[in-house]
Amino acid sequence: MKSSLVGQAVILAALALLPAAGEAIYFRDKISWRSAIAPSEMVTVEQARGWGDTAIWVDARPDDEFANDHVPGAISLNEDRWNELLPQFLALWAPGKKTVVYCSSLSCNSSREVARRLRKEAQLSDVFVLEGGWEAWLKKKR
Amino acid sequence: MKTAEKLPTINYQLSTNRRFVWRIVDFAVAGIFIYAGALKAIDPVQFASDIDNYKMLPWPVSVALAFYLPWLEILCALGLVFRFLYRGALSILSASIVVFTLATIGAKVRGLDITCGCFGHASQNWSFPAHLTTNLAILAGLLLLSFKATFGNRLQNSI
Amino acid sequence: MIMCLGARAELKWEQTSVELHPAANDKQAIGHFKYQNTGKTPVHFKSVHASCGCTTAQSQKEEVPPGDKGEITATFNIGDRTGTQVKTVTVETDEATNQKTVLTLKAEIPQQLEITPNFVFWKQGDKPDTKTINVKVGKDFTVKHLKVTSSTPDFEAKVEEAGKGEFKIDVKPQDTSKVVASMLTIQPEDSQKVFYATARITNAPQVQ
Repeated sequence: MKSSLVGQAVILAALALLPAAGEAIYFRDKISWRSAIAPSEMVTVEQARGWGDTAIWVDARPDDEFANDHVPGAISLNEDRWNELLPQFLALWAPGKKTVVYCSSLSCNSSREVARRLRKEAQLSDVFVLEGGWEAWLKKKR
Repeated sequence: MKTAEKLPTINYQLSTNRRFVWRIVDFAVAGIFIYAGALKAIDPVQFASDIDNYKMLPWPVSVALAFYLPWLEILCALGLVFRFLYRGALSILSASIVVFTLATIGAKVRGLDITCGCFGHASQNWSFPAHLTTNLAILAGLLLLSFKATFGNRLQNSI
Repeated sequence: MIMCLGARAELKWEQTSVELHPAANDKQAIGHFKYQNTGKTPVHFKSVHASCGCTTAQSQKEEVPPGDKGEITATFNIGDRTGTQVKTVTVETDEATNQKTVLTLKAEIPQQLEITPNFVFWKQGDKPDTKTINVKVGKDFTVKHLKVTSSTPDFEAKVEEAGKGEFKIDVKPQDTSKVVASMLTIQPEDSQKVFYATARITNAPQVQ
């Protein structure tokens, strides 16, 4: 029995869900559905603190917020003054260091953008975004 | 009498040749979609990022499409090869190429610097005319096949 | 059945998404979001705030009488950002329905040169091999020659053309025994704008 054009299209569309679901399961560690940062590129405050001196903390917030308060020892690197601040960060970086970038909260895009640019432009590995951002650090500080 | 006997043989040969040509078109179009689909299926993370670059859809939708669309393309292309759910496959592939073409034109008009979705990141260095020409050529192939699928049998029978 | 329609405040937006194409040297991109109160009662703005510190948004007025028009101006400070930037401004009003509106500002920031990587390094004691920095000229620009200079004599930098709109900068340290760094200044011919890359000899990673 010949099915209609729409019927055929619906069957194909439904069949395609199977390999798509399989692939989504396979790649579940490499892509996050919530944000464009892969789960492997996010770290919690506890994890980052556990890295001790191997971690370089990068504050992606605007200058005034950084000046107000920041993670002790963090270096400011934001997109407003990227060209000026990047060399200062690179002077601190060394192979084996883990870079932890944070900004105002999970919804803020700056840390993700700064991390992306460090990976893409400077081609650094081990660049992470702090889950929960500055707020998460403050909570754990108490 | 000789001429009358020759006619059925000639008709059969022409019909076989025509079918062969149409199958070549089937395989050519299917090949393009299998290749394009495979490129995107191999790296869905990059494809999700490419879709996100159009800045038209929320991130979770981009991820869902990145996983789903390549397999839909591959399945429909296989439908063309094996003549399985053939017309449905043609309609889905035609719709997808129209959407990609409109999105490419829309992005160009908006001045966005993005890769074309068809071949994912592999086509990132293509110029806009190259993207458009490729899309339109694929669409032409699909429309020819659709025309043949809809009207082809009627035409053959009338000869 | 008698239908009773209450008087309502209603803000109608001409568009809630604006796309901007700032020039290469622009410091800001400004989007104008026009609205009109098509309702029968005044609309009050409760808050107007942007998604990031790089964007400021201002409303011309706090109260919009019925029939009146106005606009929200969103100013995006480009800074050193590149590529496609999307910033949002959330507007909250005292309308009965649709109290929150998200205005989207999309800016395509042209980049004259794309330098990858902009950081090359050697560990102390490594072989002083040549490392390459790739430079790609932006689609809307033409660059015939590049001038590259190193801030210290510890690194040598040579430029060669690598195809249409592409250059290669080969960077080589004199030796890798000392921890040194250099700023490579990359300047397109006939352009005032200057780009940078960093070359460094780093400490060898400490074994923990």
